[in-house]
Amino acid sequence: MNDEPDDEMNGQPDDGPDDGTRGAEPPMTGRRRLVAGLWPPRLSRAQLTVAVLLFGLGLGLAIQVRSTSDNSGALRGARQEDLVRILTELDNRGQRLQDEKRGLETQRSDLETSSDQAAEALKQTRQKAQELGVLAGTVPAEGPGITLTITDPHGGVEADSLLDTLQELRAAGAEAIQINGIRVVADTYFTEGTDGVQIDGHKVSQPYAFKVIGNPQDLEPALNIPGGVVQTLEKEQATADVVRSQRIVVDALRSSKQPDYARSSQ
Amino acid sequence: MIAVLGLVIGVMVGLVVRPVVPSGVEPYLPIAVVAALDAVFGGLRAMLDGIFDDKVFVVSFLSNVVVAALIVFLGDKLGVGSQLSTGVVVVLGIRIFSNAAAIRRHVFRA
Repeated sequence: MNDEPDDEMNGQPDDGPDDGTRGAEPPMTGRRRLVAGLWPPRLSRAQLTVAVLLFGLGLGLAIQVRSTSDNSGALRGARQEDLVRILTELDNRGQRLQDEKRGLETQRSDLETSSDQAAEALKQTRQKAQELGVLAGTVPAEGPGITLTITDPHGGVEADSLLDTLQELRAAGAEAIQINGIRVVADTYFTEGTDGVQIDGHKVSQPYAFKVIGNPQDLEPALNIPGGVVQTLEKEQATADVVRSQRIVVDALRSSKQPDYARSSQ
Repeated sequence: MIAVLGLVIGVMVGLVVRPVVPSGVEPYLPIAVVAALDAVFGGLRAMLDGIFDDKVFVVSFLSNVVVAALIVFLGDKLGVGSQLSTGVVVVLGIRIFSNAAAIRRHVFRA
């Protein structure tokens, strides 16, 4: 690895002039030699060989700089053991990520299955609650049905007549009924008070307006049959008015009561 | 002048053509480049000293490159490649610095 200057290290003065050791012509300083070598360009053997070598150096320099600054080639100059280590690390990392992915996928499918089941159960329960709520009078209901208005100017209609009417409607398939804003449910009762009829303890006054949800084609004939509710009421000198409707809204509500003793056995 | 042109053309060719270096040679390229740089600085100093000889320059250039690559190759085989290449770079760096100091004295007289 030795090149010339090291051999000439000793006794080398700091600057050029060597007091005639290099010829008699004007002192040839290093700087002048440099300039002379640069200009004018001379096609000498020395220049050509040096140019070829420097070409090789420039080539290697450019290649190395390019491959170092190239991001994708970051591993190009790496040694074999480094590459093996990096590869092993990448393999381990990939393995870990695969495991993690598999676990997460299992978790996801579990969650999907269970949430599907839970959602389905919730849906069915809600539906059931709605159906039962209509029966128990805790939710409003709407649908086709009839409106029955009983006007009784002479006060001849008593609680038992209203109860008969209600039973007739139930027999004809009425599903939700309210009378003057009072929801009629299974334990509804009619009483004859001193000043009129009471339903579930609430006084109702005339006219008695029944809003009934059910099949109108069943309900209306059931009321109008000969000897039926309407004729009976007319005998009491009351008028009964039946109007079919495609949309009856039964929106009177009852609060739901928790039974004190009965518990679900399921 | 021709020599400087050679360097410039080499860099340009390397940047433009993007030659593919065989993967077996790649680890030795940086060390070889540093060794060649050392030879070039030595040659420049020799020229400034007026004792430049192209034959010496060629031999020193090539032997620098070959020996540097050889050391790294040997180090790789022995399992101390990275340490040994660090050592080579340090030694070559010191030589480049001392040569550069001599060149500086010639050019700037300081």
